[in-house]
Amino acid sequence: MLEIKDLSFNYGKTQVFDGFDLSVPKGQVCLITGINGVGKSTLLRLIAGVLNPDSGTIEIDTGTGEDPRRRIGFISDEPRLYQSLRVGQAIDFHMSANDLKNFDDTLLQHTKLGSDQRIRELSTGQKIILHLSLILSTEPELFLIDEVIHSIDAYLRRLFLETLIQLLSQRRITVVLVNLNFHDIEHIIDRVILLKSGEIVVDESIDNLKAKVKKVVGESPPQSLDILARLDFSGHSEFYVYPFDPDVAIEDSSRIVDLNLTEIVTAFIGGEYA
Amino acid sequence: MKPKTPMEIQVDAKSALPVYEQVKRAIKLAILSGDLAEGDRLMSIRELALKLRINPNTIIKVYYQLEVEGFVYSRPGAGYFVRLDPGRIQQESRKLFEQLTEEYVFQAAHLGYSLKKVAEEIGRKQSRGSQPIAKGG
Repeated sequence: MLEIKDLSFNYGKTQVFDGFDLSVPKGQVCLITGINGVGKSTLLRLIAGVLNPDSGTIEIDTGTGEDPRRRIGFISDEPRLYQSLRVGQAIDFHMSANDLKNFDDTLLQHTKLGSDQRIRELSTGQKIILHLSLILSTEPELFLIDEVIHSIDAYLRRLFLETLIQLLSQRRITVVLVNLNFHDIEHIIDRVILLKSGEIVVDESIDNLKAKVKKVVGESPPQSLDILARLDFSGHSEFYVYPFDPDVAIEDSSRIVDLNLTEIVTAFIGGEYA
Repeated sequence: MKPKTPMEIQVDAKSALPVYEQVKRAIKLAILSGDLAEGDRLMSIRELALKLRINPNTIIKVYYQLEVEGFVYSRPGAGYFVRLDPGRIQQESRKLFEQLTEEYVFQAAHLGYSLKKVAEEIGRKQSRGSQPIAKGG
């Protein structure tokens, strides 16, 4: 579905990517994470075609034979489209510009958005849902989602998530999303990619990642396991280990704790800052 | 045909068990305990994915594995249905019972109770005539 080969990109003197490769098959939900400034959003913008690579190729095959750019839905964290229009005008403009006929306003009804409301007066969450509605009308095959999920309130977040799940089950869309906060979304993710300085340092299915990253609570660090990060408390410490090996014996006084995705990514990122 | 049976499944993000394994186990438990009966239709993939807010691919994997393991069968276009094979139910119940016993004994040992103490405690419960905890309780 998405093939990135030998991609290089820089902002002036700052090299963001140098020989970057990534392949995402159809139907996969791929999370890209990492500390701020690591190139996550730049990567999405390159895939979306908002930025152009210095060298390398980004191939998108939607299987429809038409211009793949028409089948990409890019939802940015700062939706700025049609600021001067009202909701209804924006919808009319979008539909005629894309030569579309039927606009599905289900999402807008859920959010009680009126067609005469000015877009610049909407909340971020409302803008994102409007943007999502417009994008849905073009039936995208590839969704690119940039950090939007935690900038909207719980109700709209649920609406957003449910819409994605519907699309995943109806049309096997492919999703690449960039995020640092996974509370609601971790169960729709198939694959986790951690970027560091424009390079992939972790690339695992979510099930493998959860099996490989554990917290060991004890007095001393576990022997022969690599430690990502440690937190010290009076009397005991927490050691985040990767890769965890269930066959490696740990001290009797130590305890192994399973982690959710937020804790896992925090451990990787914490290790990076340390 | 009976309508789809609602299922209460909790997905624990912290569990070491992968999500598909958690969902699979919950459905197996519902079948083994009789909450789901022969011929009951499982929720559709889309419905269950929405209900649990998980990736539909995960549900597809669960249903496929349940079918391979003989707990459900699929009818193209109609969905997935519970299959009850009495011999198999017995065997699977036994497996689950052993798993739960092992976990209980392990936890008791962790608290410092010997197997003998565990057996005594179970004996005491029996003589008091206590009832098993009600389903869902």
